[in-house]
Amino acid sequence: MAGVGFRRWAQALTKGKGPGFSALLSGSRAASGPSKDTMVGPCPETAEERAAAAKKYSMRVEDYEPHPDKGEGYGDYPKLPDRSQHERDPWYKWDHPDLRRNWGEPMHWDFDMFIRNRVDTSPSPVAWATACKQLFGFIGFMLFMFYLGEKFPAYQPVAPKQYPYNGLYLEKGGDPEKQPEEVKINYEI
Amino acid sequence: MADYQEAPLATRPKTLDPNEYFNLSSQFRKAETDRASIRANLKRQYQTQLNNPHRKELIEDPALTRWVHARANPYLNFRPTFKTSLLGMLFGVVPLFTLYFVFKTDRDRNEEMRKAGTFDRRFALSS
Repeated sequence: MAGVGFRRWAQALTKGKGPGFSALLSGSRAASGPSKDTMVGPCPETAEERAAAAKKYSMRVEDYEPHPDKGEGYGDYPKLPDRSQHERDPWYKWDHPDLRRNWGEPMHWDFDMFIRNRVDTSPSPVAWATACKQLFGFIGFMLFMFYLGEKFPAYQPVAPKQYPYNGLYLEKGGDPEKQPEEVKINYEI
Repeated sequence: MADYQEAPLATRPKTLDPNEYFNLSSQFRKAETDRASIRANLKRQYQTQLNNPHRKELIEDPALTRWVHARANPYLNFRPTFKTSLLGMLFGVVPLFTLYFVFKTDRDRNEEMRKAGTFDRRFALSS
């Protein structure tokens, strides 16, 4: 009898969802907070489920497209196009102008990534291929020219400075008795 | 507008979409009207709450609540498949063992070098 009671209590502990320790003890949950049908549910399969989900997310049934059900945890949350908030009309009178969003509008799953401080998916001013060609073409050209400059230097030829009297042998503290080696000089005075 | 070419991976903005101006088919126009009516309904709800002089509390946005709930509870709809378990292993289990082995071998090698006296301390600031 006690064993059965303990098992029921353990089952209630694991199954009781919702806030409060009382929920864990009794197996029921409180009625406060949003109800389960207004929150995210499992991926819809039938047409009625799709229609109900579209209505819940305030979208047209034809526009509503859930994420493909691969068990990744999306549920019936709609798959909106991956467009950043940068791309939205800056002149329209949004309810929240900094987020460029209206109240009640379905939010993208990665909304916090697409805000205006972060990822921007708007089109580049020049075509991407042109921009890449110009940038890498310039960098490549400069690298090539510097390489050529290293290979074929174009400055006056230089050599170490040469001093008279055998490279100033006596002035540099050379032995007067010894005969210094002859340094070949390339100039004449 | 005729020669505007958007960059790859980007969309044409709605104001440059020729469908807005030239597509007069009834399905397209009906779709646009439906979307506009949903939008107008939401706007009406928001403005009513916003301009209510007796309102003292914050206006709660159900779309925001749903988004927060969806992002905070992915495991309600989680199902272990090949891909999800692979990702879980890759991010959770593999780094654990890889980093252990990397750090251990590197540290052991350093220890050997210090014992043998070959450890390079040329740039070490602590003396």
